[in-house]
Amino acid sequence: MFASVEETIKKLEEQKYIASKEIATTVYLALKLEKPVLVEGPAGVGKTELAKCIASALNIELIRMQCYEGLDESKALYEWEYAKQLLYTQILKDKLSEIMGSESSLSGAVSKLTAAEDVFFSEKFLIPRPILKSITKNERSVLLIDEIDKSDSEFEAFLLEVLSDFQVTIPEIGTFKTDVKPFVILTSNSAREMSDALKRRCLHLYIDYPTIELEEKIVGLKVPESGERLTRQVVETVHRIRKLQLKKEPSISETLDWAKALVILGYEDLDPKIATETLNFILKYEKDIELAMKHSKDIFLN
Amino acid sequence: MEKQPYINRKLFDFIEVLRDADIVISADEVLSLFTALPEIDIADKVSFRQALKTTLVKDYTDIPVFDKCFNEFFSGREKLFDNIDVSAVASLIANSNPHLIEELNDLLDQFLDSLGDLVMERSSEELLNMFLEELLPSSSGGAGGMSIFKSNNSIASSFQSMAEEDGQENLRQGIDELLRGMLSLKKTKRSIGKELKNREDYLLNRYIYQLTPDEIKEMRELVKRFGQKLKNRISLRKKRVKHGGIDIKRTFRTNLQYGGVPFKLFYKNKKIDRPQLVIMCDVSRSVNQYSRFMLLLTYSLQSLFSKVRTFAFISNMVEITDLFREMDPERAINSMFSDENFTYGWGSNYGRCFNQFVAEYSDALTRKTSVLVLGDARNNDNDPGIESFKKIKERCRNLFWLNPDKKHLWDWSDSIASLYGAYCTEMKEVNNFLDLSEFIDKLFVDI
Repeated sequence: MFASVEETIKKLEEQKYIASKEIATTVYLALKLEKPVLVEGPAGVGKTELAKCIASALNIELIRMQCYEGLDESKALYEWEYAKQLLYTQILKDKLSEIMGSESSLSGAVSKLTAAEDVFFSEKFLIPRPILKSITKNERSVLLIDEIDKSDSEFEAFLLEVLSDFQVTIPEIGTFKTDVKPFVILTSNSAREMSDALKRRCLHLYIDYPTIELEEKIVGLKVPESGERLTRQVVETVHRIRKLQLKKEPSISETLDWAKALVILGYEDLDPKIATETLNFILKYEKDIELAMKHSKDIFLN
Repeated sequence: MEKQPYINRKLFDFIEVLRDADIVISADEVLSLFTALPEIDIADKVSFRQALKTTLVKDYTDIPVFDKCFNEFFSGREKLFDNIDVSAVASLIANSNPHLIEELNDLLDQFLDSLGDLVMERSSEELLNMFLEELLPSSSGGAGGMSIFKSNNSIASSFQSMAEEDGQENLRQGIDELLRGMLSLKKTKRSIGKELKNREDYLLNRYIYQLTPDEIKEMRELVKRFGQKLKNRISLRKKRVKHGGIDIKRTFRTNLQYGGVPFKLFYKNKKIDRPQLVIMCDVSRSVNQYSRFMLLLTYSLQSLFSKVRTFAFISNMVEITDLFREMDPERAINSMFSDENFTYGWGSNYGRCFNQFVAEYSDALTRKTSVLVLGDARNNDNDPGIESFKKIKERCRNLFWLNPDKKHLWDWSDSIASLYGAYCTEMKEVNNFLDLSEFIDKLFVDI
């Protein structure tokens, strides 16, 4: 656990994650209140990274679940291992007939079999999927439900039960309940709106592109080889580019890539010529590159 | 800790403000705010704001509204003393007990609460007089005030004594000023949300072509926010629609437990074809403003459609899809007018343009296409080109005409609205932003 908002920032920074005070406040509160966090924002601002860094800062396990269209309970919660059940039934055939053998009446055989039924529907034949895993684990973990907006609304409804009670019912075995609630982080790229019920249960965090100062800090931390001068030039240029009407704005990871590439290429200064030559590191569409070239006078100042 | 109740009341006021501004806040959220607050240092503005934001605002499109309200609401103190003779107030505070301001503050809050909605209807001056009357019942000769003030007798009596003492004229004035300042500040604060909302409603309901340049600037933000909301809503609804073929993979997997006998069937969600859209905009002077907005909105909704082709016309039909792909809609529209081929001739000629469309662009029409025509159907007595218009109708799924003119003006002067209207799926009077978004919303239900 983090002791305060400031410590949250510090601990995350040790994991090489620069959190703004806003981010840190929400994370700190969510941990304190044991509430899930719904993180939204444009792609590539470090939503998933945040979850990873919280896990390693707190030194607890990260359980990740990637959402996609058609994801259902059996993939998210648990599944019976049918093949194993069948195999075991085959192997144990002798043993079974041994138990049943002495029984003459059909109803007697059934009741004997029922008595042994529990064997096949026990945890031995259960494959725990991420959510069950995070609940049955008796220590704190970070449960990352990534890109929840890609899942179906049925799945979202099912998540509600988990998020409010942190308990899971398996009809054949019983209810699993946890004393130590996992810290749940849901991320969304806003491909669709989440239901109000889900939002009500979560704290909400919107991460936007960082400010120039923050992004400089991030680049400085992740790509220390690039000097202060180059870092500043790169970040300022990226910020100017983001102001254009682009198909896809360069994300933080692309800023980092660019800085790394420039270091590898041995440049210490970002002059317009180099910048335009390496523009494809941050802009992924031909049209965007053309647009940036058109405005090159306003963008590449150095 | 003793300040807690005051802060709480202030927060409830703020929550009211947010609700007035149309942000949905449930009891759950209020509860989590109050469990969160003790955990953070509320003197730290950034943390405080984020704690409020993270617990109360769940829709990121509401964040700008929240920020506006927050800044207005919690930037109080300095403004309070703006119009007040500071020296009078200072001597007042020096002469009386140090908690005077706080106590007055509490009294004012109680007073305003007891009035409810009346607060918004009265001017600050009226409110001040009412308040003083309540506080100093004897001075107005009236008998007895509200019970809340009786329980606060100490302050009332000290007040009274001050007021009655001779030679304290300027002190009394100081109090009045202070109260006036506090009252009007409180009044503005309580109405922040309502005013934002009123402003939005005003803009959304206003005739698009009557908007002033400043309002248009304001609208742009609004259109973006509303477009996003609309988009979210539509995409949520789209997911809900079901029915389709059997989902083999899932059916097999589930029925393994029955030895492969398909007891339970699962169906695929039917993929709904995203509609294709062809927009034809009349951009002649009479409807220019209108078309701009329509284009702006459809542009922000583009990802909902599988294909959008945009055409603009006055007397020539020109495809502007590529223009929109290259630059932001505002600039695209402006650059359109520098195209000579396009601005040739003055006054709309619908007939000629429809003929051109059929001849050159009919490949844009399929059974999945919805066609939107934006214009006032004022054809300047040209040939209406009905044959071509019929052809367009035959070849697309549905054909809507959005007409900015009021219904009783259709067919007036050179408008031939009902002539075209007869061949449309529907001709609709749409002249403000709300109608427009409603229409687009409906477009997705019909499909």
